[in-house]
Amino acid sequence: MLRYLTDPILQAPTIGCMLMCLSASLVGVLVFIRKRSLIGEALSHAAYPGVVLTALFFALFFPEQQEALPFAFLVGAFLSALGGLFLIDWLQRVAKIKNDAALSLVLALFFGVGILIASRMQITHALFYQQIQVFLYGQAATMLDVHVIIYALLAMVTVCTTFLLYRLLLIVNFDREFATVTKIWVKGIDAIFFFLLVLSIVIGIRSVGVVLMSGMLIVPAAAARFFARGLASFFCISAFFGLISGFLGNYLSVELPRFYGLSLSLPTGPMILLSSVLIFLFALFFSKERGLVRRYVRIFRFKQQCLTDNVLKALWKRGEGAEVALTELQGFSWRLTILLRKLRYQGWVVSAKPGHYRLSADGWLRALRIVRLHRLWEVYLVTHLGQGKDRVHRNAEEIEHILTPELEQELTELLQDPKQDPHDQPIPGRPEVR
Amino acid sequence: MNPYTGTDFFSFFGVLFSRLFSWSSSIATDEIQLLVLIGVGLSSALIGTFLVLKQMTMLANSLSHTLLLGIVAAYLITGSGLVGSLGLTSLLIASLITALCTSLLTQFLTGSGKLQEDASIGIVFTTLFAIGVVLVTLFTRNAHIGTEMVMGNSDALHVDDIWLTYAVLLLNGALITLFFKEFKITAFDPGLARSSGISTNFFNYLLMILIALTAIVVFRAVGLVLVLAFFVGPPLIARELTHRLAPLLFISMGTAAVCALLSVALSRHVLTVYQAPFSTGAILVTLIGLFYFTLILIKRLYKRGLMKKSVSVTIPNN
Repeated sequence: MLRYLTDPILQAPTIGCMLMCLSASLVGVLVFIRKRSLIGEALSHAAYPGVVLTALFFALFFPEQQEALPFAFLVGAFLSALGGLFLIDWLQRVAKIKNDAALSLVLALFFGVGILIASRMQITHALFYQQIQVFLYGQAATMLDVHVIIYALLAMVTVCTTFLLYRLLLIVNFDREFATVTKIWVKGIDAIFFFLLVLSIVIGIRSVGVVLMSGMLIVPAAAARFFARGLASFFCISAFFGLISGFLGNYLSVELPRFYGLSLSLPTGPMILLSSVLIFLFALFFSKERGLVRRYVRIFRFKQQCLTDNVLKALWKRGEGAEVALTELQGFSWRLTILLRKLRYQGWVVSAKPGHYRLSADGWLRALRIVRLHRLWEVYLVTHLGQGKDRVHRNAEEIEHILTPELEQELTELLQDPKQDPHDQPIPGRPEVR
Repeated sequence: MNPYTGTDFFSFFGVLFSRLFSWSSSIATDEIQLLVLIGVGLSSALIGTFLVLKQMTMLANSLSHTLLLGIVAAYLITGSGLVGSLGLTSLLIASLITALCTSLLTQFLTGSGKLQEDASIGIVFTTLFAIGVVLVTLFTRNAHIGTEMVMGNSDALHVDDIWLTYAVLLLNGALITLFFKEFKITAFDPGLARSSGISTNFFNYLLMILIALTAIVVFRAVGLVLVLAFFVGPPLIARELTHRLAPLLFISMGTAAVCALLSVALSRHVLTVYQAPFSTGAILVTLIGLFYFTLILIKRLYKRGLMKKSVSVTIPNN
């Protein structure tokens, strides 16, 4: 790691990649909230023929001026992606074809033309051909300081634009009607959005490549969504993830083949994308509020609580001190066995002989409280919401697991501490000790 | 010795027809290309029509990327098919894995991950593709294999590819004919399909597997990204000409076949006349694009002419 960080040859590519990922992940947030994730796929492919035509132009007219090529590639790719954008719009408006078909058609046709010309240049201008092919999967290793300066400037453009227009972007993207009413120039903001999108794609294809560019627009934003609490933090977190994946991808593309003892270097594009996917997966499973693990744990706990309540109620129904064999309980299973062991350990039930259980004193009180909540709710439904007596049981069966002590207090006061439920069953009094 | 060496566009057809009628036993590379491209063109036009109607073409795009992982997985299982010719078993395994991985992961992200659908499609196919590229590069120890797969190489096609192509075409044709009514209803009116007891889920999965199968054979002929043009181009051309399903299918298949024929002849023509080898697949896609835009322009000019005429007729009458 240290050797990698201090290697002067690798510094320029790494910084270049990180800057590129920064601008892609910033624009990616906008793409994500506008639900236009697939347009990036079409536009990045549409940029390819621009690169190829630029190379052809230079090969034919200025074969000596190689140092101007990085700039020219940017201009060519930009124009060509812009052309793709207009064609998509034109196809939908004039030729009246659906959005997905327009995207696919532009993607495939532009790329086809690019490959057509590239397949010719493979033989006539092999040197230029090699420079074009870099744009397919991205290659950071050949980046020079010139590239880094260009990318830094362009990345600055995206960062500054998003920073300066933050308010407007927020309003236009979340409440278009409000934006129109307050006379914000919505079309202008949309144009800026598409300009930023094309720009970030053009910056990105050098290090990620046209084939995977769309992923780089989506993945950091999708990962950031799991942590974001508002647009500003969404932008910041996504940009941070972009920077990390740019660095990590570059590092892995150099070190992974070395680790396997191969002398080839992997293309940077897939590695950068996979690093950001790694971040995304981590966010998907382990993010604090929306992570899957946390969510499943919560669901499992709630189910377990419902089951516990139901078991306690079932034991309560047999009467105080009644011994109940495990096999008598409805829905007997290994889950129940484990649960009862746990309850015994926690002191809610007592087991005199193996497989037989009765409620302990604490367990009895807890069961009484559940029954109380159930019946209170039934009374509430009948007296205050006017539901039929015979229809309230099912609803109460669900709500009894959810009602909190505070709600119980409120209900008691509202209903003036009733003694009987709608089915003429006694409502147990409030236990003094909990 | 290739009998087509030195032929231009028109004499290409001369040689083709004379060889067709004299029933020569050997088969030239141009003929392999021709047969494979026509076969994959017919297959993809058939499936693509339903995709365009169901507005699911981006699904074809994602499957055309994930198929790489399917091929790698089939290679790990059967031990063949990564380079060189692909057996029928490997093909079936690869397409099944491709379709299942893509759809299950996308469903997982939209369902459990609560992501937007297009974002999850985008994440899944780029990720699986990236994994595929890395694995293929590591297995073949060839840093340029990724580029080759994107560019495609129809000159590397083998006689076995013909059988594979037509086996897939036959399967596609048979299934579409057999379930024509079901596919039609699920494409136009999913609600009606469900209420009349057709499992839309089953037909969607069937369609996905067929897309994956077709995409793999098209991929072998023209490379990764151009697969999409095969699926989308001919149906869109046909869509400009008709609005009925059966003619739509036949016109789009016809267009694909004609484009394939022309592209092979053109590829030979430019090689002979200008000594310039071009990628045949790319020529085909460019042809499809040219046809489509010419058609739109003609239709617009025709409409405009019609409007002018009707205006000049109606004004005196008023």
